[in-house]
Amino acid sequence: MNTVMKRKGVILAAALSMTLAAGCGNNNAGNDKNDQGAKPTDGAQATDKQTEKPAEPFKLSIMLDLHEPEVPSDKIEKMLEDISNTELDIQWVPDGSYDDKMNASFATGSLPQAVQLKNAASLNLFRDAIKDGQFWEIGPLLESYPNLSKLNKDVLNNTSVGGKIYALYRENALSRQGVIFRKDWADKVGLAAPTTIDELYNLMKAFKEQDPDGNGKDDTFGLTDRSDLIYGAFKTVSSYFGTPNNWGEKDGKLAPEFMFPEYIETMNFFKKLHQEGLINQDFPVTSKNDQQSLFASGKAGVYIGAMGDVQSLTDKVKEVNASGELDIQNRIEGPKGTGIWSTGGYGSVFLFPKSAIKSEDELKQVLSFFDHMMSPVAANLIQWGIEGEHHKIDGGSAIPTEDTDLTNREVKPYLSLQIGGQGTIEELLDPKFPMPVKAKSEELIKDNENILIDDPTLSLESKTNIEKGERLQEIVKDATYKYMMGDIDEAGFQKAVDKWLKDGGQAIIDEYNA
Amino acid sequence: MKAATVKTASITAAAEKRTTGKWGRMWKDRTLYLMIIPGLLFFVIFKYLPMGGIVIAFQDYKPYEGLMKSEWVGFEHFERLFSEPDFLIILSNTLILFAMNLLFFFPIPIILALMLNEVRHSFFKRFVQTVVYIPHFMSWVIIVSISFIMLSMDRGLINELLAWMGFEKINFLMSNEWFRPMYVLQIIWREAGWGTIIYLAAMAAIDPQLYEAARMDGANRLRQIWHITLPSIRSVIIVLLILKIGDVLELGFEHIFLLLNSMNQEVAEIFDTYVYTAGLKQGEYSFSTAVGFFKSIVGLVLIMGANWIAKKAGEDGVY
Amino acid sequence: MLQDKSIGGRLFDAVNYTLLFILSAITILPFIHVIAGSFTTVGELARKQFVIIPTVWSLEAYKFIFSTDVIFKALSVSVGVTLFGTLFSMLLTALMAYGLSKPHLLGRSAIMFIVVFTMLFNGGLIPSFLVVKEMGLIDSYAALVVPTAINAFNLIIMRNFFQNLPDGLEESAKIDGAGYWGIFTKIVIPLSIPAVATISLFYAVTYWNTYLPAILYLDDAAKWPVQVILRQIVVLASGLAGDTSDFGNDYVAPPAQTIKMAVIVVATVPILIVYPFLQKHFAKGALIGSIKG
Repeated sequence: MNTVMKRKGVILAAALSMTLAAGCGNNNAGNDKNDQGAKPTDGAQATDKQTEKPAEPFKLSIMLDLHEPEVPSDKIEKMLEDISNTELDIQWVPDGSYDDKMNASFATGSLPQAVQLKNAASLNLFRDAIKDGQFWEIGPLLESYPNLSKLNKDVLNNTSVGGKIYALYRENALSRQGVIFRKDWADKVGLAAPTTIDELYNLMKAFKEQDPDGNGKDDTFGLTDRSDLIYGAFKTVSSYFGTPNNWGEKDGKLAPEFMFPEYIETMNFFKKLHQEGLINQDFPVTSKNDQQSLFASGKAGVYIGAMGDVQSLTDKVKEVNASGELDIQNRIEGPKGTGIWSTGGYGSVFLFPKSAIKSEDELKQVLSFFDHMMSPVAANLIQWGIEGEHHKIDGGSAIPTEDTDLTNREVKPYLSLQIGGQGTIEELLDPKFPMPVKAKSEELIKDNENILIDDPTLSLESKTNIEKGERLQEIVKDATYKYMMGDIDEAGFQKAVDKWLKDGGQAIIDEYNA
Repeated sequence: MKAATVKTASITAAAEKRTTGKWGRMWKDRTLYLMIIPGLLFFVIFKYLPMGGIVIAFQDYKPYEGLMKSEWVGFEHFERLFSEPDFLIILSNTLILFAMNLLFFFPIPIILALMLNEVRHSFFKRFVQTVVYIPHFMSWVIIVSISFIMLSMDRGLINELLAWMGFEKINFLMSNEWFRPMYVLQIIWREAGWGTIIYLAAMAAIDPQLYEAARMDGANRLRQIWHITLPSIRSVIIVLLILKIGDVLELGFEHIFLLLNSMNQEVAEIFDTYVYTAGLKQGEYSFSTAVGFFKSIVGLVLIMGANWIAKKAGEDGVY
Repeated sequence: MLQDKSIGGRLFDAVNYTLLFILSAITILPFIHVIAGSFTTVGELARKQFVIIPTVWSLEAYKFIFSTDVIFKALSVSVGVTLFGTLFSMLLTALMAYGLSKPHLLGRSAIMFIVVFTMLFNGGLIPSFLVVKEMGLIDSYAALVVPTAINAFNLIIMRNFFQNLPDGLEESAKIDGAGYWGIFTKIVIPLSIPAVATISLFYAVTYWNTYLPAILYLDDAAKWPVQVILRQIVVLASGLAGDTSDFGNDYVAPPAQTIKMAVIVVATVPILIVYPFLQKHFAKGALIGSIKG
């Protein structure tokens, strides 16, 4: 091992000194994007001559978000290249610095032919640039592709800018939110899965007061939450109380969620949890890792968030306590019935910069690659990896391998290339999870689609919101936490809302209602 | 003696024009200039060329339009900054943190270096030196998460200890009162050992004969520190102090951003965190740059002031 | 060196040693926690939170990170960049600092001001990116070194050290007919070993810790230094990115805490070892004594 390392070091040192010596002249190593952009006609001819001989592989450069620790091996990449007759040049960019890299590349005109944007917020930042014509409009072209034409029109519309479609999207479950709780604890205190807010409260209370872990000490509590009003428990519970999703209609006009009485009720609920010690006292500053660790270590018994987390949480709970058991629940009924907030139905999107794609013919070739990615073979490869290696097929469902390290390394990173998903690709295998509660979570996520609360502003536009929205949101976020912690009362919260209105919120309301 | 040479040179050159004398002197020092040129080129290319980017503070910059085509808006972004309702709070938060940093952190590495310098036992000295230097390599994410483990209300070790001793638990992480001490203590923990390195190097250059002479005179250890060690590292201290003052508005974005939360935001919001939400997160490059420019101007004024004072006091200063 | 045997001296030593010992203990405990955490299981970490000596030992985390050669490659890139970068930076810095250490030099103040100015003002990410791109450095290791070759702070410190050298030796060498170049290489540098060691250490640590330039300027992920991987793991495992990138936990679970800690250890220990090796150059008065004597 030592000598191997040493040898590698020597080789590297030599390579490095060569690079350093080469110095300035080292910019042509397949990195010159103009190179590919400069000969679109060749590419077009290649497609024309397709009948005569197999076309030269199309060269495609693409920037992808890396959400795993390491860059994957190129095994799957090679297979995708074969399927689509493409030569891929993937620039992986670590998740934490993705926006920096993308912005720098954009501002210096060095974006590749296809660029992934991480989420709706990133897409929002590019609205101006899209309107200015920096990216290709793809809407009218999609119909002519067998697979891309299947993309959901509503979701595409959610990604649209000025009524036109510029982006391909990766599908996201509309709502994953639900309640995960300790089944073994609930059995111990004699409570069934909660179906109403009151039952949910009683469960948390019992978890604090009735010594569910049976160690004779008062060292457990109900809910573990983190410093995140959206993906933590708050927004989900606010749905249970019937609060609108970001914006709702009030007297025929759109108003932000925090101007609704249901929002106040939600805050009151958390305030009560905090006062009675049913929630971790530090929830406004707790990280996701610490939040989960409170659950895993048997301090807390309720977790409200993405139901899919149940698998990793089960693993963690069992590490500490082998008899720990989890269950999940959605459809918690509140005073106004059931409901759950929904996302726009898309996760990341792809944009196609005009600076790299010089002609419509070239654009069509790029789109043709993504059309291939939605084909059954490629889509399953991206989602599940290679059969026999990363998954088994049983009765038309995929059973992922137990070796998650392997899939994390070789398959998961390519999820960034996914277009569409379960809802749009019929032949995409359904998962079959060996863990029953995980399988149940898949069902409940589907069930959530029946009770969605939509955000009415998704395809609306507010200039003030784009410019100042984040800063304004902070005012309300801070006040919400202070209220829940008992630092301010309702009058104090109202003062923050007034500040929000004065500093630009009123303009947002007016723009949305225009 | 040096002055004398220069004088004779200027007398002999008296008949010639003054500039020629200057050129002559520069020609004499040509080796020195040759040594400086590569570095100077570096600064011009990699520091001054990009500085053109500062103009976007006066534009409504759009990345796709570039510096040339973006619309000029004059001081609009500065007006927005100064009319921000929280501007004064943010300014005073920033200044207070800076003052605490200067007062409570700056002297620590000096004291620690003096203490280490007095250790005769070489193994112990190396051990301590190495150990206190380690935290510098831990990122703020890690340090803040370890602090959380220590200070949390739920099962933080320090709060458990307080409870065990019969005291009330303290809400360190979410209180306005504890934010500043916590910030300074974490900086001390991370950077004190690292900060000693420069001072120890400066102390290594002190002539040992000075100490022997002092000992002959019967000076005890504290007096030796006061009369020999400290004066010998004075110029390093002054240079570091001046540079630190120029850093007035640079308090470590990542660190504060991780400590900042809704409950302590009244005291923890500084320019960098403000710019992050109001500017960068919104893609407002021009506004972010304008705030950065404002910070730079403040730093420049302070550093020039500090340097001027140092020079008046007969020190070298930094330029 | 003589030992101080007086009562005051002993008291001084006792207080000093005790304080330093307590201080060391406080500083090292969190790092021990990280090391211990890397050698234990996820369950143990969740149960105890703060681990000093694991009750359950496990090498799983290390097995995981060493099961591919990614981390070896990244480490060797970091070592290479750190070595070459430090050499290159020291060369430029020492030359410039010496040139600027002569008070009689015309324009010295102006040049120093030009340097100090860059500590306060910078054009930001995008213009710097453009310069690097125009220089043709994109995707070459030189992009990690050349754009940060001189650190103004280090330059100022170095100049300060040179300026504080006793004048006598240099003057006598001048009388012997040596030029600035000769004085610099034969007298100034050998006399300034503590300063050279210090500034080298500063540069080495900077190069070792570099990650943003690597992400910005290197499109080819095979060229990434170890800090990029460390950063990525810490960000992912601390849950700082998970929600906003919206893969949720459904399909992509963050790396385990033990793995995070193992990567911290692997990425930190190589640079930690550098310091003890340099320490002998800090020995008090060793140099001046030897040259004068």
